[in-house]
Parts: sequence; structure tokens; C-alpha cells
Amino acid sequence: MNAASRGTTGEAAFTRLLAMLRPDLMRFAFWLARDRAVAEDVVQETLIRAWKSREELKDPAAARPWLFTIVRREHARLYERKRLPTVDVDEVEALGDPALASDGDAGLIDLRRAIMKLPSDYREPLVLQVLGGFSTAEIAAELGLTQPAVLTRLFRARNRLREAYGLQGVEDVE
Amino acid sequence: MSAATPQCRHARLLIGADPRHLPADVQAHVESCVGCRRFRDETLALDARLQAALELPLPDFRQRPAAPRRWYALAASIFLGLLIAGGAWLYRPSVALAGELVEHVAHEAGSWDQRRQVPAATVADVLRQAGVQFDPTLPVVYAMACPFHGRLMPHFVVQTDHGPMTVMLLPDEKVRVRTRFTEGGYHGVLLPAGEGGVAVLSREGEVPDSVAGQVISGVHW
Repeated sequence: MNAASRGTTGEAAFTRLLAMLRPDLMRFAFWLARDRAVAEDVVQETLIRAWKSREELKDPAAARPWLFTIVRREHARLYERKRLPTVDVDEVEALGDPALASDGDAGLIDLRRAIMKLPSDYREPLVLQVLGGFSTAEIAAELGLTQPAVLTRLFRARNRLREAYGLQGVEDVE
Repeated sequence: MSAATPQCRHARLLIGADPRHLPADVQAHVESCVGCRRFRDETLALDARLQAALELPLPDFRQRPAAPRRWYALAASIFLGLLIAGGAWLYRPSVALAGELVEHVAHEAGSWDQRRQVPAATVADVLRQAGVQFDPTLPVVYAMACPFHGRLMPHFVVQTDHGPMTVMLLPDEKVRVRTRFTEGGYHGVLLPAGEGGVAVLSREGEVPDSVAGQVISGVHW
């Protein structure tokens, strides 16, 4: 196989990888930004940046965390560049974004609203873990935190969500 | 919840932080402590709902027009369209399904490491949540109802003479022919089952026909 055909094959595989992971990138961006239009912008920027940097991805198995990291950075850059206002949680609910209520499952809708209301310090590691499949060590590295700090944030995030799920909260950790 | 000892508080911190990946000492404590076991079970149930909540249905994302974009965002939209169209053109539906299943399994890598047999009641609960009937004739060591394509999919790991294998029940996914695949270090087979399908995946070589046959014989939908 010559260099040109190797490149074509690699680009096709990378294209497929991006198409496969795009839905989760979109969801991750939405939970970060809590705003659909911002999320779409973030994902578009992410795909462009990923395409330009595709040579940096040596192991396709690492694509997911690699792309999630780019989403986080593009999200931060977008806010920095545009000086976007912080989204007000009540405003998000008032908008009644159909994405939050589309499946008609009242329990899920309540849980989504509760996730929306989590402070970003708790919401971000939780979404990285549950949606992104990051380990607690990877979340610590991604967010520049110690692993015990990540454990505490994840515990508190779930503890706050227990009520929305109809469970009693448990004693907080120090 | 029963009175919490320091050991319980430590266990509940770790359960609340990462219920699917507990260290062995915590796992052992949980098995011997009614309160912590209940907390773990509740947290696992919460996590299944949490995953479903976070996996927003994407078609609805496209119902509302986005905010005005910069000029290159338009170019990006075209690029994105080409990406998706290219992906759809390159891969037939069954291969695309296999890719998504491998992605899902890789996302729950810890499921392969389970050794303890899951109680029959837990398996039954997973099947009930997903509205699926299945009679697993092999020991189940992992059972979870996972969100997949907008509904809950029973995701099991069973122990076989050929090592652990993942079984995923897909009543709504049309599988026309038995299709073997190898992707991302996994070997798998998609099996037609009535109007749906079943996927069996292995990390240690091809899925033997005997195992595939044993799995498919337990499907009753």
C-alpha cells in the first residue's frame, strides 16, 4: 500500500470515528453549556479542530476521551471569546427545551432538571464519568483536581440527585 | 439506612462516587453490610436512570433552529453533513450496529472483570425493565439495563468455557443474517432473533457457534 492510499484509509476511518462519536459529543456539550445553540457551535468547532489535529490521535481507542477534552476546551474558548452570559437554570427550564422532555418519561425529565441544577463543579465530573466513561483518575487529570476531590464531587452530585430520583439523601462526606 | 460506621461512611463515599468500580475491600464490606448493600443497589439503579437521562434523544436536538452562526460555521455544517453521509455510505447497517455495540462495551470495560454470579432476581429485574424475556442458561456475572437507541437494552456478561462473553439483547434492531465482526479488539457475532437480534461479544477469540447457539436458544420474544 502506498502512502497516498494509507492516508485515504486513515481519513475514512477517522471520518467514521467522528460520525460514530458525534452524538455523545453533542450531549456532552449540551450538558456543559446547558444551551443547545452553544452546544452545536462547540461540537462544530470540536470536529474541525479534531480533523486538523487527527495525526495526534495515535490510538483510536483513545478517541472518546481525546474528543471530550477538545469539547471542554472549545466550550471554555467559546465563552472566553464571545463573553457569553452564564445560562440561568430557571431560564433553561422556562424555555422548555424539547430535548429535556422529549421521551415523555416524567422521572427522566425530573432527573434531567436536577442535573441541570447541579453546580458545574459537580455536574461536569459526573457527566465525564457517566457519559464520557472517564475513570476518577482520568477526571482528576482532566479537571486538574486531586482524586479525593473528584470522589467527593461525584458523591455529592449523586447525593443531590437521589432526591430527584425519590430517594433520601445520605450523610455528606467531609 | 442503618447506622453508619467509619467503614460504612468510607464505603458510601466510594459507592456514591463510582458505584460500578468498587475496590475489593469495599466490595467485601458491602456484601456483609445490609445498609451499604442497599445503598449500593439504590445507587446502581440511580445510575441506570442517570445514564438514560444524560443520553438525550438527538432527533429533538434538531427541531429548534440554532442561533446565528459565523460564516465558517456554515462550512462546518457542510463538513459535518459529509462526515455523517460518508459514515453511512461506508458501512452497512449491521456493521454500524456492531460498531455501536463495541463502543458501548468499551464504555463499560469493568463489566468483563466481574466474577461473582448475579442473583436470578437481578437478572429478572433487568429483563423486566427492558420488557424482554430471556432464559440465560449460562452463569450471569454482570447484568445491567443500559440505554441504547432510545430504550433499555439488557446487557449481560456470562461465564463460558471459553471465557467471559457479553450478551446484549436487541429486540428492536433488525438483524437479517448472522454476522461475525472484529472491531476494537473485540470479536462478536450478531444473531437474528425473531424481529430483533442478539449480540455476543468476546475479548478472547471468536465466539464459538456452541455459545452463540446456547444464547439464542434462551431468547423467547
